[in-house]
Amino acid sequence: MHISEGVLSGPVLFTGAAITAAGTAIGLKRLDYDKIARAGIISSVFFVASLIHVPIGPSSVHLILNGIAGLLLGWGAFPALLVALFLQSVIFQFGGITTLGINTVIMAAPAVICYYLFSSMLQKKPYITMPAAFAAGFLSVLLSAVLVGAALMFTEEGFFNVAALVVAAHIPVMIIEGIITAFCIAFLKQVQPEILAKSLA
Amino acid sequence: MKQDYKLYFHNRIKISCLFLFISAYLMINAGYAYAHRVTIFAWVEGDTIHTESKFSDGKAVKGGDIIVSGLQGKQLLKGKTDDHGEFSFRIPEKTAMKLVVLAGMGHRGEWTIPLDEIQPSAGEPAEPADLQKKTVSGSEIKPEIEPALNLNPNNFQFALEKALDRKLSPVIRMLAELREPKGPAIHDILGGIGYIFGFVGIAAYFNYRRKKTDL
Repeated sequence: MHISEGVLSGPVLFTGAAITAAGTAIGLKRLDYDKIARAGIISSVFFVASLIHVPIGPSSVHLILNGIAGLLLGWGAFPALLVALFLQSVIFQFGGITTLGINTVIMAAPAVICYYLFSSMLQKKPYITMPAAFAAGFLSVLLSAVLVGAALMFTEEGFFNVAALVVAAHIPVMIIEGIITAFCIAFLKQVQPEILAKSLA
Repeated sequence: MKQDYKLYFHNRIKISCLFLFISAYLMINAGYAYAHRVTIFAWVEGDTIHTESKFSDGKAVKGGDIIVSGLQGKQLLKGKTDDHGEFSFRIPEKTAMKLVVLAGMGHRGEWTIPLDEIQPSAGEPAEPADLQKKTVSGSEIKPEIEPALNLNPNNFQFALEKALDRKLSPVIRMLAELREPKGPAIHDILGGIGYIFGFVGIAAYFNYRRKKTDL
């Protein structure tokens, strides 16, 4: 879901960059001393997760893990994913520098939405936590796919065609991400419950 | 107290198991190449340009749009890649060209063919019959001398180029595959993670300074 350079029009790129700047500012403001290390870990996980290629489906897709990023970081997902995407574009040439803004919005905005929707449910009993985490993993990828469609609709043949294509290509990833997110959250709840408790800040 | 220690130890084992699992998974996957980037490679063969488009994991781009344009942006022709990600076309104009492949979902690759790669014979259809006619009218070697062999310089050059193209095309193909990046190397990945930890350090430092001045 990394949009390459030279595909999008100027206004889209500019809007993406502006939203990313705003989101990163909010995220940095909310990152306190404890959360910095966590943001760093999530950032590295995201950085590596994009290399794990899911060999199912028609196109080439990979893990995204922005659901976990959102649940654990809230607005902090913006700076964390911005850093990871920047390094991906510099080191691996995924995406590009000019599309960094829009790519960050595509990944981080769903993360923040999932944070508001699901993070309060993580304190509850396991039978609520697991489905909530699954939904967060699933929904964040779905929303990212829809955002890719929205970003591309100004250049390609229309929003619904592109969005449907991107969503269809990512259905396996959505399910896998949902499962991974559910197990990660369950694992963290058992091992380091304070990570989830503090994420409500 | 002892109980605490036991629990702590238990957690440590769990965490290391998870870590081992993740690293093992990464190691297994390190053998694959990864997909994100789309590359297009093009080479000239006589009066035809062949292109090959791939995702960076080696999967061919099927049914991707190829747009051929001049360097000034004038569109020359358009086409679609076949099931092997290949698309060939006759040189439409004797100019340097930019080839763009659009593989959908924001994937895009680019290749430029400079003017000197497009051979001088490329513009006109260089059929041997044509050449023969031309050389009859203005040649030093009379065609009657060696009519069967046609060994005048122009024809010879044409034949040579054709043979070279044919012989070299596997080599060019191999070069294209070598040029293809094999996905991120392990040191790239570790380097990136190192950068992120560096950023964490910087952030912690500034956070600490801010706290200190607040006190």
